[in-house]
Amino acid sequence: MKKLFLLTLLCSAYSCLAVDVIVNPANTSTLDENEIKQIFIGKSKSFSDGSKALPITQADGSTVTDEFNEKVLNKSSSQLKAYWSKLVFTGKGTPPKEAADDAEVLKLVASNPNLIGFVSSGAADSSVKVVKSF
Amino acid sequence: MKMKLALGCTLCLACFSGHAEVNFSGFASINAGKVLSGSGVPQFGINDPIFLADYPIVSVYDEDISFEPETLMGLQFSADLTEGLSVTGQIVARGADDFDAKFEWAYLSYEINENWTFQAGKKRLPLFYYSDFYDVGYAYIWMRAPADNYTWQIFNYNGINMLYSGSIGDWSLSGNIYAGKEDDDDNKLLSEFFFQEPTREIWKDILGGVIQTSNDWLEVRLTHMRYTNQRYRSGEPVLWEGSDERDGKFYGLAVNADWGNFFILSELNRLDLDGNLDTKMLTLGYRFDNITPFVSYADFEGEGDDAESHETTSFGVRWDFHSSAAFKIQYDEVEDNSVGLAVAGDSKAITIGIDMVF
Repeated sequence: MKKLFLLTLLCSAYSCLAVDVIVNPANTSTLDENEIKQIFIGKSKSFSDGSKALPITQADGSTVTDEFNEKVLNKSSSQLKAYWSKLVFTGKGTPPKEAADDAEVLKLVASNPNLIGFVSSGAADSSVKVVKSF
Repeated sequence: MKMKLALGCTLCLACFSGHAEVNFSGFASINAGKVLSGSGVPQFGINDPIFLADYPIVSVYDEDISFEPETLMGLQFSADLTEGLSVTGQIVARGADDFDAKFEWAYLSYEINENWTFQAGKKRLPLFYYSDFYDVGYAYIWMRAPADNYTWQIFNYNGINMLYSGSIGDWSLSGNIYAGKEDDDDNKLLSEFFFQEPTREIWKDILGGVIQTSNDWLEVRLTHMRYTNQRYRSGEPVLWEGSDERDGKFYGLAVNADWGNFFILSELNRLDLDGNLDTKMLTLGYRFDNITPFVSYADFEGEGDDAESHETTSFGVRWDFHSSAAFKIQYDEVEDNSVGLAVAGDSKAITIGIDMVF
């Protein structure tokens, strides 16, 4: 019991969970951490090859979403919500569409070369391409 | 009758789903507050202490706890007509207006390309940094954007707007150029508070621009706007040095720095309208996980002897207790330094509230 507690503590302190950012296999663009961030906060709308980039996020409050927001976007979920509400209610931007879970993100990204999403580490299969792990 | 209505609704939904994806979203602030002490403005016959929390909406607190002054709810719908065209409407009901719901925004938006968007219709005038999301309390730290700065009487315009969004290296760059007019038949701030008679306020030939750039931690916003002002008090044109119109020029600089936990927000503005009206604001805050205490100072300074002059020092806390809601509490201490152009006198007040987005 004590061990389990310690493990949980370690996990939350060092974030054991990892996140994979995925795109369609047909997407040959290079993506660094900053470009991924810019796409997910609506500041960049295309991949390096010029094609349109459409981000897909996951349900608010799910572990993988929190993980991605904190590691890649450097924002807490409420900071991110405040950021988007400022853009949504002034006509300057729309937040990424939300998928229900890893499986839905995989399905969507596999069928559309413009999409970019993230899934829990290890969830990605050959239908998509992992471009970065966090 | 009921049948017809039901049928109407079905048809309506059917045609929407056929042509456009309609998104609904909204925001609400349930706020309450009271004055703890204050001077009132005896020279204008106001003997009890009051706290003017918000100029344009005329949110006035007195010694009794009240919810009406700043409570509001907004509902936004946006229909995506595809191929870059969308139409958006935002309806806001405010306690200060007896919850009379009004369209604050109604505009079409056309995405020309990845960088440029054209918009036309009724929009919020983007004078100050917080102007266009002024009603969305959830999007900022305080109970309200600093009142001494946000003393504008016109806060919407009807016109056109070109929006740019792009980036240079690690810096994102955005901006807009707008032009339009606003003719406010019965201006709330002037009619109800300053002149206490029906006042029509016109801002015409509005032409303005905003440039904003930001990187990971720093954000800078520059703005300029010019307009021509006409005013009618009880139907009679107001004359300024013999003319029934005058020109105003607005300049603004906002700088925000955010180091993750510690952040600084600042604004410096000047309105040149028969003399300079200068406003400034500085806020410091620190995020302890979901609890964010802050301290803020805001100031308004007119030009000349006994010009309008007031300042506010505030302390408060924002607590993000829920994924879509924040609780806030704020203490404000206002000093009104003018006699002839006093606004609401000195006051100390406390306000609390919950801001939500959905």
